[in-house]
Amino acid sequence: MQRFTELVVFSVLLAGLYATMAYGLGLIYGVLRVVNLNHGGVIMAGAYLGWLLHEKFGIDPYLSIPVVMAVSFVLGIAIYRGLVRHLPRGPAGGVQSLLLLFGVWLVLRNAAYLLFTGNDQTIRTEYSTRSIAAFGVALSVNRVAVFSIAVLSLIALHLFLTRTFTGKAIRAVAQNADSCTLVGVDVERIYSLTFGIGTALAGLAGVLGATLFSFNPSYGSGDLLKAFVIVVLGGLGSVVGTAAAALILALVEGFAIYWLPAYLTGAVGFVILVLVLVVRPGGLFGQRVLG
Amino acid sequence: MTVILRAEKLSKRFGGLKAVDSVDLELSAGEILGVIGPNGAGKTTLFSMIAGSIPPTAGRVLLEDKVISGGSPRRAVRAGVVRTHQIVRPFQNLTVLENVMVGAIYGKARPLGARERALDLLDFCALRDRASQLPGGLTLAGRKRLELARALATEPRVLLLDEVIAGVNPAEALQMADLIRSVREKRGLSIILIEHVMPAVMRLSDRVIVLDAGKKIAEGKPQQVVKDPRVIAAYLGESASAEAPGQAGSAASPTPTSAAAPASLPTPHSNPTPTSVPRKGPGGKQ
Amino acid sequence: MKLLPHWVSRPALAGLVVAVAVGAVLPKVLGLSVYSQNQVTETFLFVAAALAWNWMGGYLGQVSFGHSAMFGLGGFISARVLLALHLPFWMAWVVGGLTAAAYALVWGHPTLRLRGPYFSIATIGVGEATRLVMTYWEDLTGGSSGLSLPITQGLKSELYWWALALMALVMASSYALRKSTFGLGLLAIKSDVDAAADVGISPTLMQDIVLLLSGFTVGVCGAFYASYQNFIEPGDMFGFDRSISFVLMAVIGGVGTIIGPALGAVVFVMLRQYLIGSYPQLYLGIYGLLLIVVILFEPLGMMGLFFRVARRFGLMRPELEATLEAKAAVGGAAADPGAREGSAP
Repeated sequence: MQRFTELVVFSVLLAGLYATMAYGLGLIYGVLRVVNLNHGGVIMAGAYLGWLLHEKFGIDPYLSIPVVMAVSFVLGIAIYRGLVRHLPRGPAGGVQSLLLLFGVWLVLRNAAYLLFTGNDQTIRTEYSTRSIAAFGVALSVNRVAVFSIAVLSLIALHLFLTRTFTGKAIRAVAQNADSCTLVGVDVERIYSLTFGIGTALAGLAGVLGATLFSFNPSYGSGDLLKAFVIVVLGGLGSVVGTAAAALILALVEGFAIYWLPAYLTGAVGFVILVLVLVVRPGGLFGQRVLG
Repeated sequence: MTVILRAEKLSKRFGGLKAVDSVDLELSAGEILGVIGPNGAGKTTLFSMIAGSIPPTAGRVLLEDKVISGGSPRRAVRAGVVRTHQIVRPFQNLTVLENVMVGAIYGKARPLGARERALDLLDFCALRDRASQLPGGLTLAGRKRLELARALATEPRVLLLDEVIAGVNPAEALQMADLIRSVREKRGLSIILIEHVMPAVMRLSDRVIVLDAGKKIAEGKPQQVVKDPRVIAAYLGESASAEAPGQAGSAASPTPTSAAAPASLPTPHSNPTPTSVPRKGPGGKQ
Repeated sequence: MKLLPHWVSRPALAGLVVAVAVGAVLPKVLGLSVYSQNQVTETFLFVAAALAWNWMGGYLGQVSFGHSAMFGLGGFISARVLLALHLPFWMAWVVGGLTAAAYALVWGHPTLRLRGPYFSIATIGVGEATRLVMTYWEDLTGGSSGLSLPITQGLKSELYWWALALMALVMASSYALRKSTFGLGLLAIKSDVDAAADVGISPTLMQDIVLLLSGFTVGVCGAFYASYQNFIEPGDMFGFDRSISFVLMAVIGGVGTIIGPALGAVVFVMLRQYLIGSYPQLYLGIYGLLLIVVILFEPLGMMGLFFRVARRFGLMRPELEATLEAKAAVGGAAADPGAREGSAP
């Protein structure tokens, strides 16, 4: 029973991170109809940036979040303005943007190899090994911190999207970009902004993940897949859906790791994906992401 | 008149919404049946069920006593029922000729002679001179004719036309209407057509059924149906139907255009202007 | 020639014959060293693999980032068969290919419900999951130590001819898959899968066929590679880099064109040679930059350049160029899975 509670609690905490990862991907897709295949690359970059700030300047990773997010935001805007914007919009641009962003990912990966070598890194702070007791389980400080920050960020994001003018403009563009042009919304600016925000969220997920797991330049493709599963399962645009899907994924993963031999756990994400496809391609809440 | 296609209590539910509610429909061989109704009445959904694109939630469709609903579009096409789309969907990466050839080859799995059959159909639909061009270069009317040609290439018995006339200019609309008539006459097809362009529906259809909010509310000869108070109410709202009935001839018939236009149905020969793309819902609709 | 279907054009047939003839006399005429001849063998192999990848990525419009799964599976199954049964190597290749084809169908059939970019992400998962499982499955792959095949004298130079034959076969199949009525159906599916279904095409059936063909061919290529290298290990065979190489070859040459990927494979092999020699630590970044540059400036890669130049110099009618580019273009009306909903975040 103790084990069970542990598993559930860990999974819930991890779900916060997963939801953050997914939301960045889903936001960009929902608004621009572009799948950011560079998502994993930015997560990796965020991890390394947080690590770097910690190694070189001793900045606590959680305190470095604003910096990491700001840098990621700027990176996102640069990628959009410099590259993505030039591609044809809509279905014709679909595969092209995929390949383009994949190319960016490769470049980021190579940069990481050059700068940091291929060795695994982690961010270890003096409180990394401490734990808090709750629910009869010893919870690592880092996991609690990651969860809290993830939840706060998602709430903040939700408020931004529903309460501010820019946020509403973003949602409007996601629904119907042409009408937005008619009412005076600068759609291009919204696209830039959204790409920046989505990238910033990926950077956030990166630095948060870096405090929990070790990483290297190849880090990120697993996260991309998980984010994708969550987006499909949770449907676009629903914070509740994303949260629920993240929770389900984390729980299934947690139990799979417990039950399955080590080499199969990598396949869990993909298996869930196929199951979702076969059983409920409309996502949990029927907001179809798939055709 | 033998009945070639029959829909029995056809229903479609999307979540909580009943898009089509227990619709019965009979199409006789060689008949042209018009389907009209305000926007959102469920006409295209009805077509989708008949053509096999979506499965019905209840009810079934029979082509000469063989059930064709609930399967795939391919099953319907092989059986002999094909539909066109409200918003045309040509294969943008194939030439006009190749578009039609796809229908010729895959409709009834007859690859032999597909090219010749496709060329014949292009002649029939006045597209022969565009054979090696891409659909992007055609006008809307051209693309609608292409969609028709492609559907005809599948050698159907029943043709479902979804708003083939709406959205084109008067001259093209006339051409289209003539084309539809000759499809029935020269090729012996039975046709169901959804249309908003009232003059066309009235002139072409042998019979008309009216859908509103998923239900069939009227059925009969075109001239009867437009005078039916329920139909008028569906289009123009309750108060209009209170004023309108009883007025003779051309004045009382509803056209699903903006309320500003005179609510008169042009009689044939006088004003063949189709009122195009009437997207503003009159009365209580939308 | 009445033996051939009507859609085979004479220039294309001549082109194939010329390519094979050139390949046949190349070693003698150029006086190639053993090393160089082996390079050409590898090039032929990658041409075949890239063309087979393109059947999924370019003809169907479903870009796969996980094709190394079939490459690796074909390689290891073939190697195991050779080690255990002492069959003629080409038979082992066929076994490898068939296994790979079956695997492609197993993961591909449900996954192809996804359209466009979502399918592509799923293939990343397939590739990675396969790699992880295979690396641990030591009985099949020998784990991280890999598998060695006994070295047969003179095999490598004999393999030159096998590679040439394989490449010729795949080139002919590539041509057939585009020009035949089957190919027309594929183009229709690529353009608008729902409209294709509405005129009587069965998209799932046709997609499954392409999965099998592509999987089989790439599997055979993997099997060939195993016989050629005499040593294979899962990290390389099933690796992400391997999958990327297929994508890159096709993109450089021209995704969706008939022979683009063949050109891309040639360029890729030459590039790889150069990079291994001069800038080994930059190859990922260079590949990435290449992808970016090609997509931004000439999405149809080398073939796109060729079309443009041919039109500019009056060798090709603009109409023909437009048609060829339309056919190559990946992504059509129904390729955007989220297009129907306008869900807001």
